Amino acid sequence: MPNTYGNRTLTEWLTLLLGGVIILVGLYFVIAGGDLAMLGGSVYYVICGILLVAGGVFMVMGRALGAYLYLGALAYTWVWSLWEVGFSPVDLLPRAFGPTLLGILVAFTIPVLRRMETRRTLRGAV
Amino acid sequence: MRRSHLLATVACATLACAPLAANAQFAPAGSGGSPTSSVPDPSSDNSFEPTENTPAAKSRFAGPSPYAPQAPGVNAANLPDIGSMDPNDVPQMAPQQSASPASGDWAAYGHDDSQMRYSPLSEITPQNADQLKVAFVYHTGSYPRPGQTNKWAAETTPIKVGDGLYMCSAQNDIMKLDPTTGKEIWRHNIHERYEAIPYTAACKGVTYFTSSQVPEGQPCHNRILESTLDMRLIEVDAATGNLCPTFGHDGQVNLMQGMGESVPGFVSMTTPPPIVNGVAVVNHEVLDGQRRWAPSGVIRGYDAETGKFLWAWDVNRPNDHSQPTGNNHYSRGTPNSWAAMTGDNALGLVYVPTGNSASDYYSALRSPEENKVSSAVVALDVKTGSPRWVFQTAHKDVWDYDIGSQATLMDMPGPDGQTVPALIMPTKRGQTFVLDRRDGKPILPVEERPAPSPGVIPGDPRSPTQPWSTGMPALRVPDLKEKDMWGMSPIDQLFCRIKFRRANYVGEFTPPSVDKPWIEYPGYNGGSDWGSMSYDPNSGILIANWNITPMYDQLVTRKKADQLGLMPIDDPNYKPGGGGAEGNGAMDGTPYGIVVTPFWDQYTGMMCNRPPYGMITAIDMKHGQKVLWQHPLGTARANGPWGLPTGLPWEIGTPNNGGSVVTAGGLVFIGAATDNQIRAIDEHTGKVVWSAVLPGGGQANPMTYEANGHQYVAIMAGGHHFMMTPVSDQLVVYALPDHKG
Repeated sequence: MPNTYGNRTLTEWLTLLLGGVIILVGLYFVIAGGDLAMLGGSVYYVICGILLVAGGVFMVMGRALGAYLYLGALAYTWVWSLWEVGFSPVDLLPRAFGPTLLGILVAFTIPVLRRMETRRTLRGAV
Repeated sequence: MRRSHLLATVACATLACAPLAANAQFAPAGSGGSPTSSVPDPSSDNSFEPTENTPAAKSRFAGPSPYAPQAPGVNAANLPDIGSMDPNDVPQMAPQQSASPASGDWAAYGHDDSQMRYSPLSEITPQNADQLKVAFVYHTGSYPRPGQTNKWAAETTPIKVGDGLYMCSAQNDIMKLDPTTGKEIWRHNIHERYEAIPYTAACKGVTYFTSSQVPEGQPCHNRILESTLDMRLIEVDAATGNLCPTFGHDGQVNLMQGMGESVPGFVSMTTPPPIVNGVAVVNHEVLDGQRRWAPSGVIRGYDAETGKFLWAWDVNRPNDHSQPTGNNHYSRGTPNSWAAMTGDNALGLVYVPTGNSASDYYSALRSPEENKVSSAVVALDVKTGSPRWVFQTAHKDVWDYDIGSQATLMDMPGPDGQTVPALIMPTKRGQTFVLDRRDGKPILPVEERPAPSPGVIPGDPRSPTQPWSTGMPALRVPDLKEKDMWGMSPIDQLFCRIKFRRANYVGEFTPPSVDKPWIEYPGYNGGSDWGSMSYDPNSGILIANWNITPMYDQLVTRKKADQLGLMPIDDPNYKPGGGGAEGNGAMDGTPYGIVVTPFWDQYTGMMCNRPPYGMITAIDMKHGQKVLWQHPLGTARANGPWGLPTGLPWEIGTPNNGGSVVTAGGLVFIGAATDNQIRAIDEHTGKVVWSAVLPGGGQANPMTYEANGHQYVAIMAGGHHFMMTPVSDQLVVYALPDHKG
């Protein structure tokens, strides 16, 4: 049987790595963002952090849902950014630029995650 | 800046703060204990300095008694004391070049006695400025040698009178250059020691003086007057560079006379002394943050012909204008003035921009006399040394809002159609005050507005109101909000948001606190700093460059200050480079030390607030003080995260230090920004019509002059250690291409 669980392709490893990075960023968002929210600051980071951790975990599990969760967090980021600072490029830079770059990478992982899901389904059927 | 950054990091590491503790410059006050018993009780009235019999302080680090002898080298040239003379015996001053310079000259620091930084030259225009090329470069030879801490920022503006360009090096050597070639005509080395460098090795300029006593054609008829980092007042012959034997002791006066205990580098002079009706007036900086009983901030007048002492304005001895004798000294810890002063021959006044009493961030030990004159413009009568009027720009200042700018003199239309002799006083607060120079009354409205009061430090209440110049555009952005936090990504932006929320902040004049940091905006770099403003009297356009650089401050208990190793410069344990002005300070003699850093992400070195960090503004003074144009000053080419240059031409607006020149050709010349460029800007539109990269930071006021029939533009590209721009010893002079030297 090709591509058993212990025999991943490079793209699959990179996908898992990306999921790991997203978990770390998400954890930072939850912890530091929680701190900020407790100090009376924005609650965006906590909410976004929960989405990111969940997304990252599903990605590491090889589920396409993880990528969709990240893209959902990205959409939330854009809506929040535009609400907070409008269309000011200088102010959108720290808020949306990095997450969007990461989002492009995440979009590339969707077919990989789908393939992993399909394989798992087939394996389950066998 | 690097040093305070390092300190904060070390403090953080030793106290094992969590990486997420964004405000963790040091542990909270509770762990530091209460103020020790060896410091005065802040609630008692203890405004006056220790006497000869006061027992020595018992804290771990403490400076010597003010009555202790001066350390070796404080009297740098081992000069004998200078005698006094009755101010009424000062001879009538000869007409000075700076009163009405020849059209191609730049006869004083700010061009002429008005200090407008306006030149009537017009060869270079917005149409041809893009052809400017380097005509010559001159090396002063002053820069940090191996093993020396970089404390350099030359900040020099040459003057040009007749056939010579006169200037000083960062360490006060004086030279005359050929204005067309940059060739050295003479150079007078004064052999200043490295230890004499205070916070910064700077020499903003020299003063040209024409004697009424020495006939024309004889040596020292025309003289160059310089005040030095090691507190000497020096006069040399403008023609030869030789010391003037009739001035002081063979050309020099020791200005540490009467100052009491001190060490080299504690007290220093960086600005050209104005000469008003024959009186050379000197001020000096006293290193910030060291100790409450630092050497005096006394302002003194000397006879420009003989160097004899005339008068002193000593804030806590208001009725005694004489030199202290015996073991006495000028009153300690009084507000010092380090900005360039402006003379006014017609009114017989010198306008002194004052700073703060020693120990900037704690005011409970200041006398009522000090509280009246700190962070103010003080108009001193040059005949007596007594203030004729005082205008205060920040009451009971604990934010280091000392005035760095030089006052500019100009004429304003008065209410009844008459012309009012006016003075423009820029401030670090970004509030620009326009005053009647006869009586100090505001010409444009000034409002006393409620300020956060009384604050939280016991026994040290803040002023309930502060002055706002409502008739002038404010050179500041609105109070900071959480959403103004910036960064490369949400990660560092979140860090800065927490840092913002962790601090006390209720807008400008947020009172100092010990339990947590407070945000100081505007910061101590301005608003407007020592670059001052330039003013075109014909178009009525006032040019101002300014900063948006908030600070993150926290008072620390004495115990914590000791743990951080904060000690005054005259403590026997002090090691050179162990803290200085603008950073963490011991404030020995008060219950607290101070920790100050820029409001930045200390891991990336990027400011926490959004750009711009520096701006340039043109204000139409003839038509209702409206902003004509305003834009960020400085690109991101030499700045970026972790101090890495991005190379981006994006006009982000960088912090800036150094001022502008405005010319009849319709151009503004300015360096100042930390992108190490000099620019020519169209005075009327604000459009940058030319820029060039300098060999070092352009943190100096440029100047322009005419020689051999052609216009030149000169700037000292000396760099600035605190602005973290490259240091060089090069004066760069530009001209249109046909006129290369």
